[in-house]
Amino acid sequence: MKGPLSMVVGGLLACSALASEPVTFCGRPLVAQPVAPNTWMVEGQREELSAQNCGHIGNQAFIVTPNGVIVIDSGSSPTFGDAFKRLIGHYTDAPIRWVFNTHHHPDHFFGNAAFDQAEHLALATTLSLMARDRAALIDNVERLTGRALPRTRLALPRSVAPGAITLDGYPLTLFAMTGHSGGDLVLLDPATKTLFLGDMAFYQRAPATAHTPGLDRWQAELSQLRTLDADIAVPGHGPSAPPSAVLDQTAAWLAWLDRRLSDTARAGLGANAALDGAVPARFNGVALDTLALGEYELTRSVMQLYARYEEALLWGSDND
Amino acid sequence: MARVLQRSTGRPSHHARRWAYLLLVGTAVLALLPSATLAATPHQQTQDPFGSFMWPAYRERFLGDAPVVFDERVRVEAPAFAEDSGQVPLSVDASALEESGEPISQMIAWVDLNPIPRLFTYTPMNHGLAKLSLNIRLEQASAVRVAAKQGDTWYVGGTFIDAEGGGCTTPGIANDDNAWEKTFGELQGRLFANDDEQRLRVRLSHPMDSGLIPSQPAFYVQGFELLDAQGQQVATLDIEASVSANPTLGLHMRPAPGGYVIGARDNNGNRFSLGLQP
Repeated sequence: MKGPLSMVVGGLLACSALASEPVTFCGRPLVAQPVAPNTWMVEGQREELSAQNCGHIGNQAFIVTPNGVIVIDSGSSPTFGDAFKRLIGHYTDAPIRWVFNTHHHPDHFFGNAAFDQAEHLALATTLSLMARDRAALIDNVERLTGRALPRTRLALPRSVAPGAITLDGYPLTLFAMTGHSGGDLVLLDPATKTLFLGDMAFYQRAPATAHTPGLDRWQAELSQLRTLDADIAVPGHGPSAPPSAVLDQTAAWLAWLDRRLSDTARAGLGANAALDGAVPARFNGVALDTLALGEYELTRSVMQLYARYEEALLWGSDND
Repeated sequence: MARVLQRSTGRPSHHARRWAYLLLVGTAVLALLPSATLAATPHQQTQDPFGSFMWPAYRERFLGDAPVVFDERVRVEAPAFAEDSGQVPLSVDASALEESGEPISQMIAWVDLNPIPRLFTYTPMNHGLAKLSLNIRLEQASAVRVAAKQGDTWYVGGTFIDAEGGGCTTPGIANDDNAWEKTFGELQGRLFANDDEQRLRVRLSHPMDSGLIPSQPAFYVQGFELLDAQGQQVATLDIEASVSANPTLGLHMRPAPGGYVIGARDNNGNRFSLGLQP
């Protein structure tokens, strides 16, 4: 009880000391939800990028340490990053010193420019993907949100190696994964047993698969994440929850998607056949029909992945 | 080499909308006049369901003077939006129409707003069923049409595909379209048989270069043909470069004990062939 209580008291003190205008973004209040002592998250809309949500679809988090603030993902535009920075200012007047980007997708790093006093950190794999896709991703965000991005301010972070790291006395453990995007950083805060999953896991929102190296690889990495000692998980999209709930739901979605793609390809049917039929109510005991964007992400995944399944199951040399 | 057709915003221009409006007014006036169009049944209507300003031009170009009716029994399936505009899966099924009357003698498909609008002309002859699937290129959001000829009338179905992928989509992620350089001309296929049909799933490794990209000459497959075990031609499928790179076809044939041979030819004179037995 000591932890949560001190967090609440700390929060009240901070608010009274720094009381200012409530932060809004895109006409909505921007809210920081406490997930652990000194740790908050901001949940994005469970939607695809659009003009209506101004691109705020991904989650962000921050940890207030004795020597500065750690930010995990910065949102999809410098404008959002500015609002997020003001929101953090409601909870602490400590400087924001470190910004981690969990992966190279625009809703997770395009807000970096708002934190130009901080050190920006990402996996080496993520950096090369950022360099490869940045121009196309800027085009997407501008097209889908109808808002121009200041291109020159979208600088790339510095690379950080997986393993134990200490940020001016504050320890974190970093894990390098690949399942969602080819370069996915997962952070564990041992002090609060909080797991920051990035888009390695989605919760109450269907997973996006555009850059997955393969659903089997993603699944294997989810199994590794299950072994970590954590009490609460912050997914890349959707609310925080116990790690097993978040990881099981993502795994069930991916297992069902893999089954549908395999069955359709093995039967010699075209990709559209994989789109016939709704998302099932449950798979492997986990409810799937309650996930936001289910039909939408299924449609995208089929177009992204179907050719790979045909390659493996119909054209590969190892088929019968 | 960029093989994916140029992306665009997918929104019709003001110019296009203005034409669509004028067309709508013109059509409304015409509708008041006596017309040679067939009387509509519950499956059918005489107005273009997509209100596309290209409809009259392509109707004339592809279907000529023959009677035309929009009919939902010509089912055209595609995702509502193109995640990868270079590879959009399209499925066509006019079997409900065929079951109601004479055989379908020909199917013609096109994309209203593609620079090369025609996708294919399929002649099922006596062995092909009125079903087909393949991947297509989509220049921008557009209606996709399939006209099936039964008797002397064209029955037209269609669907509308939006051109927008998601926020973390990047061009060409779904398929490595350059893989053909290592595997050019590889024709692979599988035959899936049941009591009603032999379904052929076939893939040909070929760039399908349209010739529309500067300094890249046209180099594409122009046609497929199906032969029976005796070598007789039993169906043909002519295609244009609006069909995706590495054409992957789903063909539905009547059951034949000896299976089928599929052949292909491109505009450079290359020929490819593969036999498939049940």
